[in-house]
Amino acid sequence: MVARSVSPGGALLRASRMFSLPAPIPGPPTQDTTSSSFNSTTATSAYPTHQVITTLSSSRKRGDWGLKRPLPLRSTTKSSNPMIRVKAIDTIEQITDFTSAADHGLTLRKFQELRVPVVVRKSSSDVSYKVSDYAQRSVFDSEIDTTDIAPKDRAQYIDQRWKFTGPWLAGMTEGDFKEYLSKHVRPRRTAFRAFLKQKLAEEMNGAAQLKAMDEGELDVKQTPVRARDITEDQLTDYLRKLRSHQHHLYAMVGTFLDLAPLKPPEIAIAKIQSRETFKVSENPYAQNGPPSTHPSAGITYLRTKSYMDNHPLYGPQKEHQPVQARVVKPRRNTPVTPASIGVAGIIASTRLGDSVLNRKSVGGALDHINPDVEGGSKLWVQVKQARVDSNGKIILSVDSAPMGHGGAEAELIAKELLGEGEGIFGQQREQNIEVLPENREQMRRQYAAPSAPMTVNKLNLNI
Amino acid sequence: MSCRQWLSSALRGLAKQQPHSQPQTRLFSTTLQSRSSSPSSPSSPLNPSSPAPSASRSAFPSRLTNPTTTPTKSANDALFGIMRESRDRGPALTDAERRNVIKPNFAETIQSTRASATTDAFVRQMPRRWRTGDVYAPRDLSPVEMRKWRRPSAPKTDVVDMLGFSPVDNYRNPSLISEFMTDFGRIKHSKFTGLRPVNQRKIAKAIRRAIGLGLHPSVHRHPEILYRNARKTLGVQYRPDQEKGNSGPKY
Repeated sequence: MVARSVSPGGALLRASRMFSLPAPIPGPPTQDTTSSSFNSTTATSAYPTHQVITTLSSSRKRGDWGLKRPLPLRSTTKSSNPMIRVKAIDTIEQITDFTSAADHGLTLRKFQELRVPVVVRKSSSDVSYKVSDYAQRSVFDSEIDTTDIAPKDRAQYIDQRWKFTGPWLAGMTEGDFKEYLSKHVRPRRTAFRAFLKQKLAEEMNGAAQLKAMDEGELDVKQTPVRARDITEDQLTDYLRKLRSHQHHLYAMVGTFLDLAPLKPPEIAIAKIQSRETFKVSENPYAQNGPPSTHPSAGITYLRTKSYMDNHPLYGPQKEHQPVQARVVKPRRNTPVTPASIGVAGIIASTRLGDSVLNRKSVGGALDHINPDVEGGSKLWVQVKQARVDSNGKIILSVDSAPMGHGGAEAELIAKELLGEGEGIFGQQREQNIEVLPENREQMRRQYAAPSAPMTVNKLNLNI
Repeated sequence: MSCRQWLSSALRGLAKQQPHSQPQTRLFSTTLQSRSSSPSSPSSPLNPSSPAPSASRSAFPSRLTNPTTTPTKSANDALFGIMRESRDRGPALTDAERRNVIKPNFAETIQSTRASATTDAFVRQMPRRWRTGDVYAPRDLSPVEMRKWRRPSAPKTDVVDMLGFSPVDNYRNPSLISEFMTDFGRIKHSKFTGLRPVNQRKIAKAIRRAIGLGLHPSVHRHPEILYRNARKTLGVQYRPDQEKGNSGPKY
């Protein structure tokens, strides 16, 4: 049977923006489970759920956003950041439901300007209590970023994966767990028994092989046991044995349901390990839950922060350029609330230790709101790393800008780039640089093509 | 410094010396005196460098002349010490002098208090509790948006379903029961509790059962809850070890 060719009209429709707009993804989980919750339905969500679209300025002037109908010019042409999200291409009122998407669009742009990679904590089997001991590695590290795994090999690569078909049990509420049991686990009883039979057969064959080797024979004489040869009695005995070995049973269930690995808190691990053999998961997402998307969330593709910033005048820089952080809410003593600091439009987490962001420095921008400061109080901070948690939130770790030789210099350079403050090393910036209007001859000389023959380019131009 | 403060400090000094007063009084006791006067031990064994008891008894003139002698030994000595201290310190500060001392500190305090008050006033207008990872646009910092965080809204999710517990089995749990009751003891409407009808009926049944059994007051919150809230607002630290001895409210 010959496949039906798509008509030109159909091809056009399929390639159109109307069809290429993906369906919105589910929003971030709400944390308001108490009887009275304080929230705003119009607040910017932690991550975008709709595709952000933009258009060229010439098309924008005509209201052409590639949608079914032109969008109103009055509300779309004034913005300097033309980004919209389309909630509905067509509604019953025959309008296109859209809003501005500059919030998430600009947040992404600002985040990418930070040039920080998304990292994940390297799981270490030995217990360590120092934050600095945990090595971080990129989420694109091929050891932990593997998705193309055949279903039968899933259990083998459990520590290298971030995507699991089963849930992460530690993150489920009791109600969710009960529902999962009744809806997804209970119907698979027969399949699980077949799975156990397979496992039992493998175990029996392995034991027979071992026994034969102990007796000095090269191979087993008997035919290997197959899963269908195992009787119900044998299976029942095996089940009873498994019930007394909970970790073994959990490993079986986890393999069968492809559950996301769990890692108990470190204090609990020490207790468990002393009691019985327990393999602690090496998966970096075992402790805080696997991510809902790719662990980078697609916000950046950088792998490392180990690069050197270069300045056109001052040369390579020791420190990365610090950034300005907004004091969204100052810290208060009564009741004790820490300061909320926003970097690139994301509330950042402040590191522990003696820093500007810590309790030891009192007074200043972190403690007081000064209404005279235009645009609000700001701090210079160094963004250490970014992480995407299992709820899809971007967790930025910031530290106060380093106060050492390189740090102070980096801050000065950053200020200079913003046009604030004086030049570095106390040099005054030249205030009035005379800018002469360039004449055509000068421009031609400056941007002239090399005198060598450029046949290829010319050819291309002619074509 | 007022006279009363000097007196009290002197008395404190006396009180401090009370435990050590025993050997010192013995120094002046008749027995010790006789022992020191005996030819076998010409100087006192306790304080060999001390002058003769007869000289230390008439200590008043010696202390005036020599201020670095032994500490006060009696009430009289203490009073005398006060006189001496006041003489050494000189007259009290005049009003003008005092103003000069206070001035810089005062200005600083006023400034910091004013900054703190301004900050408090602004923070009161920002009821949103920011969590790490929240994304904000300029609009989220606006007063219109901030006002929305002040108003409580009904939960969107059914708590009973989410936590998977049986409400009727929890009729003895006052903190659960009072979550679903108003301040005046009425059962909250489902539009405030956010429960689906089945669970709303179960919660209502648990409340009626708790009240019917006399386990929960019908007109106000449970005393345990009131106590807990008071403790929270007063900022008293919850300490379970103390709780056992003193079991909170008496009712």
